[in-house]
Amino acid sequence: MAMKALDIYKHLPKTNCKKCGYPTCLAFAMKLATGKADVEACPDLDPGAKALLGGVTRPPVRAVTIGAGERSVTIGEEFVLFRHEKTFYHPPGIMVEVSDTWTEVEVRSVVDEVRETVVHRVGQDLVLNGVAVRNESGSADRFAETVRLAGGGSSLPLVLISDDPTAFEAALAIAGQYRPLIHAATADNWEPLAALAKQYGSPLVVRAGTPADLAAITAKCAEAGVADLLIDPAPGSLQGYITVATEIRRSAIERTEPALGYPIYLDAGALGETDAAVATGILKYAGIIVTPRFSRASREAALTLRQNIYTDPQHPIQVTPGVYPINNPERDAPVLLTVNFSLTYFTIVGYLEASRMPCHLLIVDTEGLSVLTSVAGGKLTETMVADALKKFGVADLVDHRILIIPGYAAPLSGKIEDATGWKVMVGPRDAADLPEYLEKEWKT
Amino acid sequence: MSENSPDKLAIREVRLGATRAEGGTREVSYVIGGDRGLPFCGNDAGRRLVALEICDDPAIWPPVVRNYVGDLVNNPEDWAQAAERRYGADLVRLNFTSTKKRGFNAFADIASTTERVLEATTRPLIIEGSNDPQVDSEVFRRCGEAGEGERLLLGTAEADRYRSVAAAALAYGHLVIAQSPIDVNLAKQLNILLRETGVPEDRIVIDPYTGALGYGFEYSYSVMERIRLAAIAGDDDLAMPMISAPTDTLSIREVREAAPEEQDAMAVAWEFYTAYSAFVAGASVVCVRHPLTVERLKKVLEA
Amino acid sequence: MPTVTFLPGYRKVSVPEGTSLLDAARAAGLAMNVVCGGQGKCGKCLVFVKTGSVSFDRDKFRKFFSDPEIARGACLACQTTVTGDVQVDVPEGSLIQEQKILVEIQGLEEIPLNPAVRKYEVYLSPPSLDDTTPDLTRLLEGVEGVGGPPPNRVYAPLGVLRYLPQVLRRSDWHVTATVALVPGGYRLSNVDDGDTTGRLYGAAVDLGTTTIVVYLWSLVDGRILSTASNYNRQISCGEDILSRVNFSRKGGLARLQQLAAESINEALKKAADAAGVDLEEIFEVMVAGNTVMTHLFLGIDPGYMIAEPYIPVVQRMLSTAARRVGIATHENTGIYTFPAVSNFIGGDVIADILATGMTEREEVTLLIDIGTNFEVVLGNRDWMLSCSGAAGPALEGGEVLFGMRANPGAIESVRIDPETLTPTYTTINGVAPRGICGSGLIDLLAELLRACVIDRTGGINLEIDHPRIRRGRYAPEFVVAWKEETPIGKDIVITENDIKNLVMSKAAIHGACMTLLDAAGLAPRDIERVCLTGAFGNYINKENAITVGLIPEVPLERVENIGNGAITGANIALVNRKRRKELDGLARRITYIELNADPSFMDRYTSSCFLPHTDLSLFPRVQQMLEACRLREGVGSRQG
Repeated sequence: MAMKALDIYKHLPKTNCKKCGYPTCLAFAMKLATGKADVEACPDLDPGAKALLGGVTRPPVRAVTIGAGERSVTIGEEFVLFRHEKTFYHPPGIMVEVSDTWTEVEVRSVVDEVRETVVHRVGQDLVLNGVAVRNESGSADRFAETVRLAGGGSSLPLVLISDDPTAFEAALAIAGQYRPLIHAATADNWEPLAALAKQYGSPLVVRAGTPADLAAITAKCAEAGVADLLIDPAPGSLQGYITVATEIRRSAIERTEPALGYPIYLDAGALGETDAAVATGILKYAGIIVTPRFSRASREAALTLRQNIYTDPQHPIQVTPGVYPINNPERDAPVLLTVNFSLTYFTIVGYLEASRMPCHLLIVDTEGLSVLTSVAGGKLTETMVADALKKFGVADLVDHRILIIPGYAAPLSGKIEDATGWKVMVGPRDAADLPEYLEKEWKT
Repeated sequence: MSENSPDKLAIREVRLGATRAEGGTREVSYVIGGDRGLPFCGNDAGRRLVALEICDDPAIWPPVVRNYVGDLVNNPEDWAQAAERRYGADLVRLNFTSTKKRGFNAFADIASTTERVLEATTRPLIIEGSNDPQVDSEVFRRCGEAGEGERLLLGTAEADRYRSVAAAALAYGHLVIAQSPIDVNLAKQLNILLRETGVPEDRIVIDPYTGALGYGFEYSYSVMERIRLAAIAGDDDLAMPMISAPTDTLSIREVREAAPEEQDAMAVAWEFYTAYSAFVAGASVVCVRHPLTVERLKKVLEA
Repeated sequence: MPTVTFLPGYRKVSVPEGTSLLDAARAAGLAMNVVCGGQGKCGKCLVFVKTGSVSFDRDKFRKFFSDPEIARGACLACQTTVTGDVQVDVPEGSLIQEQKILVEIQGLEEIPLNPAVRKYEVYLSPPSLDDTTPDLTRLLEGVEGVGGPPPNRVYAPLGVLRYLPQVLRRSDWHVTATVALVPGGYRLSNVDDGDTTGRLYGAAVDLGTTTIVVYLWSLVDGRILSTASNYNRQISCGEDILSRVNFSRKGGLARLQQLAAESINEALKKAADAAGVDLEEIFEVMVAGNTVMTHLFLGIDPGYMIAEPYIPVVQRMLSTAARRVGIATHENTGIYTFPAVSNFIGGDVIADILATGMTEREEVTLLIDIGTNFEVVLGNRDWMLSCSGAAGPALEGGEVLFGMRANPGAIESVRIDPETLTPTYTTINGVAPRGICGSGLIDLLAELLRACVIDRTGGINLEIDHPRIRRGRYAPEFVVAWKEETPIGKDIVITENDIKNLVMSKAAIHGACMTLLDAAGLAPRDIERVCLTGAFGNYINKENAITVGLIPEVPLERVENIGNGAITGANIALVNRKRRKELDGLARRITYIELNADPSFMDRYTSSCFLPHTDLSLFPRVQQMLEACRLREGVGSRQG
């Protein structure tokens, strides 16, 4: 387990020299304890202490990069079992599979879809990450040909799935320089595959049915010189996957089995319910998810779920404070106040847009806290509201002086009236009730 | 993490609904909770239920659902019956959306709708009453009384308006949904308040509030995980099963603005991903609105 | 110009039309109570216009007045402007009153007297044609000869050189030199006729936002001669720190500097007079104040400290001469200000730390300085963590309907009979109650919880049928004193809103304590000592502070009120130069945790917004006590 700040502090020089960039040795120790600083930042640490502290502060799950170029995907480097403990860092790569038994047209349509799918959400472009080519033809040449059709790894990262070392040799002759992921080394064939992975510098998936067997093979592969490994626990069911993935991640994080400190590989298609399996992989520790082609609706939902789960809980997506026009408001449209907690904002915008009711939405900066929490924590105050009204020139946008505040901010209504000179109406607590509230209550 | 000994339940068992033998009229009752560890891990025993939401006034109900179920929206008992028999829901959650109308006073209709829906269904029932302190007490009394002995799951108690729901649950033998705004501490505080009001622990189900996928769902997901972890670590005040209702999911832009031929697919995909993730986070009951989502969830849970 | 007459003293002042009554009162020398800084928010500057002409929108501030008050012509002085001659009645309660001020001495006997300023009596040989050494060198060589510092390390101010030749000759070469250790060397502060070595004085000053406390020391024998206190007269420019910084930004810095110096001077004069000391005989003044007060006292712009990225001009210990900051002691008196850790952990807190002795101990001490703002320090001789935050004014009686400062008539302690719900209380000075101060509020919270009148969120259970529990004008409330018991003609109540404000205040403090403990990887049981200080912290009932979850639960005997830590620390630094020298190093090694940047603080705060806490396992004794109370009351046995 991780060391506590005071235990780490005992090994530091206690000179408060600031060379590490932190004001005191204890501040540095606290950052080390949470994995937010690197021991190398301290120039005065003796090698023994450095080794000791490095061992407990380096990422327990190795970072592995698949592919090359701008669409390459880096996974792993995770520190926690649950995202609220800190955050999840590297979202899983989602690879859509094709078979070397397919026609060229079929393969190309999947590859194009992967290349072109982009979901724009809150300032990010969410994409599928690559293509997995499955060797089902029994022919090394067909496999290599399909790899070539899939772009050979130069534009999209590839996963090469086979159990035939000669097929891999053929495929790697084409794609080998682009770090494709090789799937999978087993107890039986790990030696030739590890040799190939080493030769091409490619990451390699190790596949076995139990954590113990997995650890045994990864240890051998690592010894054979392959550092970038993934683990495929070959689950038989969704529940089986969650159970074993949790065990693997826990062993890695608690550093009880370093040979399990690698990202996890999940074949979603093997578990029947693709959507459920993809969601499971996103929620539970997968580094690479290989999935059969899925519908646009499912893709969008899956990419959105991945974005949500990999949002840093300590730096929630915050909406920029300001006044936002909804449904083309005019000068008689109501002004609604809310906070810059993304959930609150999006929920309200959803209901308002659906209602087609024109209005101005005034967002104040509560550091991403919800209405209830920010009122309780003094992060939503009458002064802030007054400042925001002024700063964003709300008075110039409308002819009236009425502000609708969230139901949970009711305790502030009097103070806001005093501080702003605007008449305050207390709106509903639940965003779903806003359209009806506006319909009934809003008359200028 | 310190976990309980294997023979202690992490999550308390809660019985929903009552059969004739148990003093009600349901053909089945469900026991939720009873879990010992993390959801879907090892010998995870917890039962997972899928509820279809219906309402008594469809004016604010998502258009995609209204289009799909057609005339059923105007008739809660037919809708409830279809939920059980046609769509395969484990149970129905009846929302009294009519109480959101200004000046609502049709209390007699609350009682009669409750009775008719109970009549039309054979499985346990969740009722979402009003959320206006002015009418709460009468609404909860009426539906509580109409369903006396049925072990309804009555919602929603919140930190500053819990007494009416609690009183109805205590008087007529029902359970309480304790809803808090996405915060593990507030969830715990509400459970303590309910306990100190006299509501037994095995009659409380936690609703940590579920945001829509893409619109803050991650907060809800993590709070559910935290509640479950606290329970596993031995926190009795959080050792209740959870209910999750991602009710905003069908109102989001992606669903609303989808092309007509894609509307159902989009609605179901977003509901499915949200609802399934809620189960993975530890929810025992998940409420959805699109009938096709029920079917897909059931299939995955039964696999 | 219209004339304003203030009753009952018939103080008159002429002001231009449009002047506010508040400014008129200030011009007349009346110190009105303006908690909100004159924004019409606190309602504390109540006055009655008897005759004459003013402009005031009474409807807008209706909520602050009772019907009888309206009938008497109630106005808020800050919101009323003069439009003609007017007579105004100022009730006693609207003026700042004498407050309970901490003056105490503790634990200093173990500190060796080792002041930074010394006197050296010398007999010099007069100069001659054979010995043409200059006067200054002659003096300094003489000083070195009786144990003083080497001459080349002593700096002599021009002022001293100008009178030096006369003094030396007038005294027939028998003088006493006052030499002070200053950064980088020594300063020749003064030269007296003959022997004055028996009279060398120093002062320690606690420069508080509201109050100034002075201790006058004989630095010859290490005795405290007298103490005195005074209001910080900057209050007239704003009650709280923020409003003073704002006043300073609007061109008021020089005024604030002057007021700080004057306030200190008045206290020094009182202390010096009481001890029969001339102000000119004081050669060192050690000032402990928070970071903003220190800036203002030195006339340094504090304006960049209050907005992002919150940068103070200086944090290290500063020294200057009295004349440069307007202190009325000898012009070369060394004025020292305590260093700071951050904007929020100022010199006052460093002084507190010094007072606790925690820098010397192995055991872990938790120091909590509670006021409107709070500071928390956790640590021992090896490490130290600190944080600060806003508790809100509730604990000092602000934002509480009948809250007041610890002035005469404030209810300062309360007990409630759990059977009859009858409160018994004591007030400051034992006079009839006018309101409730912080310690009384904490007692009320604890007692109402024990009597099961409030639930653990602080909600009042209206189902209890009792005349003291009722639905008030704004919220449910509990009557603490019937109007017959008070001179204010109103029932004194505590409302549910008041309670919730208090709960939020206490949650901020407890959340901060837990944040530091978690950062250090410690639990409450690892705290070997809790030291409370600050205007509010000192009078609080320790057991009730734990019962409501204001401070972590530790065995009661581990909680100490350390009195006025700032003055104690200033005393230590005054009399012992070694301790003073360590201050900069101490300040530098304290790690400051910014609560707003710590996402887990919000979590701890929310879990602490409950009585005493959401997690009762942190409060095992309180848990037992509450269970016993619930058993005694029975659930709902009193419901009617």
